[in-house]
Amino acid sequence: MLLLKLAFRNIFRQRRRSLLTALSLGGGYILCVFSFSLSEGSYNSAISFFILDHTGHIQIHQDDYLLRPKIHKTIDDPQGLSELLDANDEIISHTLRVFAPAIAYSDTDNAPARVIGVALERERSTSTLAVKISAGVYIDDTLDAEGYYSAMIGAGIANNLNIGLDDELILISQGADGSIANDIYIVRAIVGDRTSPDRATVFLPLIAAQEFLSMYDSVHEISILLQDDGAARSVATSLQEQLPELSVAPWQVVESTFYQSMQTDKQGNVFFMGFIIFIVFIGVLNTVLMSVLERTREFGVLKAIGSRPFKIALMITCETSLLASLSLIAGLLVSVPFTAWFTSVGFELAEPMDIGGIVMSHMTGEMSLYVFATPLLLIIFFAITISIPAGIRAARISPTEAMRSH
Amino acid sequence: MTAVISTFEVCRYFGDDQETMVKAVDRVSIEIERGEFTAIVGPSGSGKTTLLHLLGGLDNPTSGSVELSGANIADMSGATLSDFRRDHIGFIFQAYNLIPVFSAEENIEYIMLLQGVDASERKRRVADMLQQIGLEGLGNRRPNKLSGGQQQRVAIARAMVSHPQIILADEPTANLDSKNGIALLDLMKELNQQSKMTFVFSTHDEKIMSRASRLIHMHDGEIELDELR
Repeated sequence: MLLLKLAFRNIFRQRRRSLLTALSLGGGYILCVFSFSLSEGSYNSAISFFILDHTGHIQIHQDDYLLRPKIHKTIDDPQGLSELLDANDEIISHTLRVFAPAIAYSDTDNAPARVIGVALERERSTSTLAVKISAGVYIDDTLDAEGYYSAMIGAGIANNLNIGLDDELILISQGADGSIANDIYIVRAIVGDRTSPDRATVFLPLIAAQEFLSMYDSVHEISILLQDDGAARSVATSLQEQLPELSVAPWQVVESTFYQSMQTDKQGNVFFMGFIIFIVFIGVLNTVLMSVLERTREFGVLKAIGSRPFKIALMITCETSLLASLSLIAGLLVSVPFTAWFTSVGFELAEPMDIGGIVMSHMTGEMSLYVFATPLLLIIFFAITISIPAGIRAARISPTEAMRSH
Repeated sequence: MTAVISTFEVCRYFGDDQETMVKAVDRVSIEIERGEFTAIVGPSGSGKTTLLHLLGGLDNPTSGSVELSGANIADMSGATLSDFRRDHIGFIFQAYNLIPVFSAEENIEYIMLLQGVDASERKRRVADMLQQIGLEGLGNRRPNKLSGGQQQRVAIARAMVSHPQIILADEPTANLDSKNGIALLDLMKELNQQSKMTFVFSTHDEKIMSRASRLIHMHDGEIELDELR
């Protein structure tokens, strides 16, 4: 206790110098927290965006469909699989999809299109498709009076074909059995705008797409939404064990380009944090060494009256750690409300920014234990590390030489 | 009587070159008995401080041996020597050398903390020491709020509170005026008689040396005269 008291009082001996050191420690901590919060917030927004937009936390495919999609690589018992997934408590919802390239026609124009057949009700609870409708209504899978299925089309297709709500859309593609697939659909909704990723997509009811592509009950993809964002890898592994004949992939694999780019960027952040900490600790090292040098005589006396060398070194470490802790508490008091604001409100970017392929115009932070604890632990660790050589120097002071110093 | 301090042919030389070598202490053999109140006297540079440092294990002899309570200091190092000093030797320095951020009480208490004395005992001993040195009521003052004489009294209390066998004082009165210096020596003498602790102090002040029961005169690192009074 007396050692702690001694350390505490020694900090206040050179108030101005301690204050400047504390400012650099606290300021460095705030910068690190901001950098971490920004990075984690941006990436979490991007992850959340594409998970809810279409990817889900986990996807199931046949074979290597994810890398080399072919119409015949299908999951042939989706209903049985759905029952298995519905019984899993870790899964909020899942949806079934089929994909095919097609050419879309109107009376006057044609355009390439990507056809996606979706299980409408499951899709509504798994992705944000329903929210992305900019005109019209979310369709159902019933035939209208004239025997046509409804379709939802991207704004780009609507523009290229010059069609709108209630107009006819003709799709031509190749069926899974090699036949020519063609059919007429009635446009009931426009999805997104002309810049949306879905601008060239035609969404059909699953049953309509399966009929169109002669796929019977089979599907190409099952997308799964989990309760816990962080459980994608573990649940995927568990599902893979249950479904050895299929390929189960967490979002980190499905969106591997984004994930790798995120990891690279995070390493850049670690470098940035390392640089901040390096600058901060040059100042701290200077303070600690000055403090030892100024108190040479005092350490000599402490040794003379019976303080063990280890105790002297411990005192220096204690002082540095205490100064770092006080600075970090101050840094925490500033960074918590600031990060809370940044997380809940954020700010608009003057120019939209591409983060791993996701274009973002609004930045928000992340408020988590990771954001606050990582720089805190690193700074404490470096404070202790940097105090060790100074402590050893103090511990090695010879009492007789120290008495002669001024 | 048993010797608490004994040195045999102890030397302390500074420098390796024969021509420039300084023989601060040269072949000194002394024995100091328990309860003695001994002064090492001599002019500046005569080797008084170096001899005290050797006696206290603060410095290593170039040759010869120093034994304190039968233990050879040369055989100890690091933590063992620190513990030996903590438990057997009390130091009083010319420049007081109190810990500036501690109060008088805390300066006295610190060494007992190193010894692992429990809190209530520490408190009792601090109060006793403050009373003995006449500083009751001033225990919570930091050194910079005490006069030179008061600071040196605190230093005496710090040296004595751990109940060492030997108190080594290096010119304890050098920074004090003669009135305060004599008062301090009288206090040390009184404590010596009460506690039977061995006091060895260095001085070159004639008035101060008159209080000692034994005078060891040094000159150029050697003992010139050893007189009992």
